[in-house]
Amino acid sequence: MIYLIAVWLLQDFVQVFLMGFFIVPNIFLMLLLMMSLLPATSREKQIILIWAAFAGGLIWDFRWTNLPGLTAALNAGLVAAACFLWYKIPAQGRTVVFFTFILIASILFSGFAHFVLWTVPSQVALRQFFVQQLLGVPLVIVFSLIYWKVSDKNV
Amino acid sequence: MNILDRELKPWLHGVISVLLSFCVLWAMITFPELHHTFVDGVNNILYYPEKPAIEMRDIVKYSSNWVLERSSLRERVTKLELENRAMSAELQKAGIKVPVPKEGNVTAKITLRYPDDWWQEFRIDKGSRAGIKEGAAVTSEGFLIGRVIRVDQNYAWVQMITSSSFLIAAAVDETRDLGVITGDDRGNLTLLYVPEERQLKNGMGVSTSLMGRHVPPGIPIGRVIGAKESKDGFMPISIQAGAHLTQLYSVEVYSGGDN
Repeated sequence: MIYLIAVWLLQDFVQVFLMGFFIVPNIFLMLLLMMSLLPATSREKQIILIWAAFAGGLIWDFRWTNLPGLTAALNAGLVAAACFLWYKIPAQGRTVVFFTFILIASILFSGFAHFVLWTVPSQVALRQFFVQQLLGVPLVIVFSLIYWKVSDKNV
Repeated sequence: MNILDRELKPWLHGVISVLLSFCVLWAMITFPELHHTFVDGVNNILYYPEKPAIEMRDIVKYSSNWVLERSSLRERVTKLELENRAMSAELQKAGIKVPVPKEGNVTAKITLRYPDDWWQEFRIDKGSRAGIKEGAAVTSEGFLIGRVIRVDQNYAWVQMITSSSFLIAAAVDETRDLGVITGDDRGNLTLLYVPEERQLKNGMGVSTSLMGRHVPPGIPIGRVIGAKESKDGFMPISIQAGAHLTQLYSVEVYSGGDN
């Protein structure tokens, strides 16, 4: 839980620092997905992580968006959907590649939902969306590497 | 047993949390005051953890813009000094005593500007403790950009001139035609209630007219850039804001008007 709080604050810190330039990628969601899909994570812990996603998203909404509940719904929904999907596929398929796929899909969906609900359609919003996704690429690689290392230890 | 089993299903918790999120969204849209309370509460809690980031951002921004800002400010100071000297000389000639100004400006940093309310409002890091009052004029680079609408001890919310609910009396500098400035929530400004027979030219300046004790007259707003189609004998005039409304980082809040 300390990691989650630290990453949430880090994301907030980076967003404050870069306010007006671009929107920071959802690092908090990436960490939640990684933690919830690790082989050692129990269902009880996944449930805690879903509610942590909800709480973190809600606080983020109160700080940064004008639609309180949107990020909360997206974070919690995506973590729950990822957990659901993860257990629906055979154990042999639960690889780093599949984790990376889930990570990319979740980040794209979350970013796109925010972009669509940006009430003033503009080129600025589109540019912000693309920059946010591009900045997310190295983070996806980093989280995939961490997942690979950590899940390797657990096996 | 079945219920206990269901309680341990992550997807079920996911569905509940999503539904709860939509309930929160509905509640916040229905009760805006509640929304403001939560927003201000969260912002107050995060004020200290975020302070280093705000300071760092300002250091980076000011150091990169320092040379440009300095030369432009020096030009403005020189111009204003010359104007001031000429006006003082005229007042002396006319035998009018110049009162010592009691008002001042409070410089504040912008700490929140919602993307979806981009042209409507933003939050600043100074409040009633710094002498900011509700209704006070807010300027950037000397141009009016909005008015304080809500004040707390440590922060305040500013309604921008580009907001459709913003209305302020304004006058065309060259002709002294009076009208009302309003926005359209999309970054455009319009001067309303100018009689259609008036011949306003592009480039004419527009500044505040006597509005209230917290908005002094004569604050520049922008320039005339064209006329729209006449309606009911009045011609809406398009105004270009003088300040760079897309690049706002810090603003000045008028703190005079007590008496």
